[in-house]
Amino acid sequence: MNDHTNTSERPVKPKPRARSFFIALMLLALTFWAAIKVSFDISTFWEVWTNPIWSMFWPIPWDWVFTKENTFDPLIETLQIAITSTLVGCLLALPISFAMSSLTTPNKVIYFISKTVMNLVRAVPDLFWAKLLVTAIGIGAFAGAWSLTIFSLAVMVKLFSETVDAADPRPLEAARSSGARHLPAVKAGVLPTVFPSYVAYSLYIFELNIRASVVLGLVGAGGVGRVIETQRQFFRFDRILGMLVIIFGIVWVIEQISVSLRKRLV
Amino acid sequence: METLSDTSTPAKRPPAPKTIHRWFIAIPFLIAIVWSLIGLNITLSRLLDAPGDAWSILRQMVPPAFDEVYERGAVGKIFESVYIAWIGTIIGAFASLPLAFLAAHNVAPIWIRSPIRQLFNAIRAVPELILAVILIPITGLGAWAGTLAIGLHSIGTLGKWACESIEDIDEGPIEATRACGGKWVSGMRWGVLPQVMPVISSYWLFRFEINVRASAVLGMIGAGGVGSELVSQLSFRNFPAASAVLIMTMAVVLTIDTISAAVRRRIIKGAVTTDEDSRTLAAITDLTGIRS
Repeated sequence: MNDHTNTSERPVKPKPRARSFFIALMLLALTFWAAIKVSFDISTFWEVWTNPIWSMFWPIPWDWVFTKENTFDPLIETLQIAITSTLVGCLLALPISFAMSSLTTPNKVIYFISKTVMNLVRAVPDLFWAKLLVTAIGIGAFAGAWSLTIFSLAVMVKLFSETVDAADPRPLEAARSSGARHLPAVKAGVLPTVFPSYVAYSLYIFELNIRASVVLGLVGAGGVGRVIETQRQFFRFDRILGMLVIIFGIVWVIEQISVSLRKRLV
Repeated sequence: METLSDTSTPAKRPPAPKTIHRWFIAIPFLIAIVWSLIGLNITLSRLLDAPGDAWSILRQMVPPAFDEVYERGAVGKIFESVYIAWIGTIIGAFASLPLAFLAAHNVAPIWIRSPIRQLFNAIRAVPELILAVILIPITGLGAWAGTLAIGLHSIGTLGKWACESIEDIDEGPIEATRACGGKWVSGMRWGVLPQVMPVISSYWLFRFEINVRASAVLGMIGAGGVGSELVSQLSFRNFPAASAVLIMTMAVVLTIDTISAAVRRRIIKGAVTTDEDSRTLAAITDLTGIRS
């Protein structure tokens, strides 16, 4: 055993490299530049509380909020948009995900094309799709349902094709070696192992769609956001606040159900 | 070797499991779907017309009018979106980090933990756009409203992720700090922070990627950034200009996603490269790094 009375030397601290120093400087400069560009104003954080605009949020006119045409009909439309787009998007996502996974893709060309197209679709934010489709096929819930379908398809194939990538390849190999053709081999060898994840992801997409469909109406694509947009133009923030309380109460309940279902699945 | 003796008679196939309970799941499901389709007034003719309408707009979008939108300053608008996302992410990161320590069940007592967790949940429930709708009358139209909306919303998600990674740590270093006489704060600084910082900083970058998309959208309701440009071009039905804005936005989003995903991979996995060549195709096609 060594002598323990001598304390060992503290190791020398590594010097920061010139490159890391340079990167840190660049990021700092970017931050300052960006802060100027967005007119960063720290005083907002304490001045906001004395803003007279708050009086416009209160009191909430509950008798206006609790009516069928103001809140509940648009809310039902929102739910219907979310259900339709989740269903169509996730159904379309199933074959595309299998084409997009290196494990189950029929050939390299389909793999490459589907992956590139889906990446490009996902690069467009959901409300951009909504605005584009509102312009193309008219204002209303129909355009909203289309845009969320496209967006949930793009997100779903990303999530699910990665699950398929990680699936156990041996059942697929067994099916192939018994002479099965491509589709039956994938159906019997891969689908059963990834199906619980598929259902869980579908529920997750449903949660995303519920939240997204609340704001779709801000660009004219139907649902409860349409009423929020109208009241915003009249500066009726008290009505908006009342609607938001109801909307998020209902969204929260739906999410809790969906989360508990997902926990049981995976 | 009894089991091998009677291979002459094939084993009986096990009976299929009863499937009647599936109908209890399927029927409410079908009812919900039919109800939605009827409620949205989706008819076959509308469904068949929609691709044609979309196609006619798409044809008018080619070729994109890059010169026109460049002269209108669309590049500056796109960068404004990136700045909004960057500052929003920084606000979210700085506000969420201390809160995450107070929300983790292994380092914080329950009386402070549960209100902060509820705060994270409440923030996450409200989309950025709704926050911006509320903030615009307070701060006025413009980039600052969007930045605040994104910053506030980021606190919710970043706080939750950071809190979860703090809960996953090895608690040995905290004990070691305490044994040396360190207080709670020193335990957090020397015992927890070095363990979680790589993961948390990669979460910040991931949130930045999300925020770039979100800030592009925020412009649509007047909270600064490229969204306003797209909305005005589309409402003038100037489709070549709209498609130019769209393509430029996509290019910036994909570039940021790719760089950020590379940096995140570097933070988490280090500089080690393994079986990289076999995955070249995947690396080329996988332009973005969104995880589940």
